[in-house]
Amino acid sequence: MNRTVAASLLAALVMGANPAFAKTTIGVTMSSFDDNFLTYLREAMAAEAKAKGVDIQFEDGQKDVVKQISQVENFIAQKVDVMIVNPIDSAATRNITEKAMKAGIKLIYVNRLPEEKLPEGVVYVGSDENVSGTMQGEYLAKKLNGKGNVAIMMGELSTEAARTRTKGVKNVFAKYPDIKIVEEQTANWQRAEGMNLMSNWITTGKQIDAVASNNDEMAIGAIMALKQAGVAPDKILVGGVDATPDALVEMKKGTMAVTVFQDAKGQGTSAIDTAVKMANGEKTEQFVMTPFQLVTPENYKDFMNK
Amino acid sequence: MSTVVTNPKALVAKARRLPPELSILFVLLGIAVIFEVLGWIFNGQSFLFNSQRLVIMILQVSVIGLLAIGVTQVIITTGIDLSSGSVLALSAMVAASLAQSADVARPVFEGLGGLPVFIPVVAGLLVGTVCGLINGSLIAATGIPPFIATLGMMVTARGLAQYYTHGKPISQLSDSYTAIGAGAMPVMIFLMMAVVFHIALRYTKYGKYTYAIGGNMTAARVSGIDVKRHLITVYTIAGALSGLAGVVASARAASGQSGMGLSYELDAIAAAVIGGVSLAGGVGRITGTVIGALILGMMTSGFTFLGIDAYIQQIVKGVIIVVAVIADTYRSKRKI
Repeated sequence: MNRTVAASLLAALVMGANPAFAKTTIGVTMSSFDDNFLTYLREAMAAEAKAKGVDIQFEDGQKDVVKQISQVENFIAQKVDVMIVNPIDSAATRNITEKAMKAGIKLIYVNRLPEEKLPEGVVYVGSDENVSGTMQGEYLAKKLNGKGNVAIMMGELSTEAARTRTKGVKNVFAKYPDIKIVEEQTANWQRAEGMNLMSNWITTGKQIDAVASNNDEMAIGAIMALKQAGVAPDKILVGGVDATPDALVEMKKGTMAVTVFQDAKGQGTSAIDTAVKMANGEKTEQFVMTPFQLVTPENYKDFMNK
Repeated sequence: MSTVVTNPKALVAKARRLPPELSILFVLLGIAVIFEVLGWIFNGQSFLFNSQRLVIMILQVSVIGLLAIGVTQVIITTGIDLSSGSVLALSAMVAASLAQSADVARPVFEGLGGLPVFIPVVAGLLVGTVCGLINGSLIAATGIPPFIATLGMMVTARGLAQYYTHGKPISQLSDSYTAIGAGAMPVMIFLMMAVVFHIALRYTKYGKYTYAIGGNMTAARVSGIDVKRHLITVYTIAGALSGLAGVVASARAASGQSGMGLSYELDAIAAAVIGGVSLAGGVGRITGTVIGALILGMMTSGFTFLGIDAYIQQIVKGVIIVVAVIADTYRSKRKI
């Protein structure tokens, strides 16, 4: 064990001190390859790594915390220069942090902020998750003129994004006495499930004026269900998060009221940027933030090529 | 298997015995009544007498139902198919990649124009069929347990589905393709397949062989059935149904995504088992599986209808699945 640590320390030192000697290597473990947003993030990282001429290796954590930890261990054994971790569970990162610190391998968390207090030298690249729900909620509340029935479509319940986004919209709606949350259910981030859920809501006959969805995929499912049920698109406001290409197409058709742009490309690029800096021994900020942006029918065209 | 009953007492007992689906039908009706009563108490409206809701109930289990029809036949031969959800995803990806409208960004087959709708449909079915054929051939040729063979396929097919576009979704599918998943079409396809395979299992040599193999594989072999060949056929059919499910799912969502159908194989197996298909083999009917799928769909609709806390839903669903099977086992035991 001690020998491994010493060896990896040495390797890190040699490679860190002499970037010209060997190519910088980056190991990335993603929480899932199946998630559309994370795919864009992954591609941005791959593209930036290629541009910077560094070696990058991706692993799929398959939403399994244990699997992700063993991927981290493999990266440590492989003596990569920098590890980029997109944590599966933001509450269960301590183990990863400790292992990396002990092995002396530089660590970056991307997209999901760990709940633990990050020690010096461990960097977070991403956005402030609390904001997206708030932005979406405020826009919907304004469009509703502070009055109406709202249904919340939640993502997979075990994920932090589902919790914070839901909390964000709920906090906003709580400020408006005439806005009532009439439904609150999960559709597991999936389009087909969003469609089923919306169909079920429609049949209860409850008045719904707006749907606040935790992501775009479920929002698109809701829009498809409304279309199938023959509800006019201006009758119910549907809001999502992510600003995926599909969502922007819906916005162009006038069926999606609002979405929030989380800059996958920006996050991916600055993650690699930061990683290269760290490998070269430069100092970086501990929190590298990429801001969220509100996407509405007025400005959606600006996001079509991002 | 036709058995000659010589003992008159046994003859009476056999006549009196209800078909196993009837008891599971009672479970379905029981759950319906519970939701109906709770609906009037808490929502002041009927749960069942809403034609829209009844369609949705079947609609949301149509895709799982298609998988369940396949896995039912596999389970009857004492096998199992864990790959159906992943094969669904792979078929959905391949079909969707050929079903995109002209002039849209394509992750694969760049520059390809719009194709007639039968091409993606046939491609999706073909992918499923090939996966099923591989499953069956592996099991028949090497004798490895179906659990392992289909587990391998489950992982491989999911990987292929992701590799195909490197995880990118395939969207903007042509209108003629999405029509396959629009409205009540998935329900029609599901019920049509149910009728076809109900007839195949009950009234054809194919069905007779399937039950014979499940009842006693050695006896089946001795009596001259080509067991290996028949197993390959059964797994290939299950694969083709997964392929069909992939076509329907991608048409319905108007998108192909590599994460589609995640853990659907377990829902499909649950539908079959709730419907009275025995994991020990030799027992089970398509009608039971259809009712099992309906129970799953009704629970989803009923929970949303009552607005049950999203966290509680899964717990209740798990309990109901087990209770339904215990109730069924108890009923059939008492009758013997």
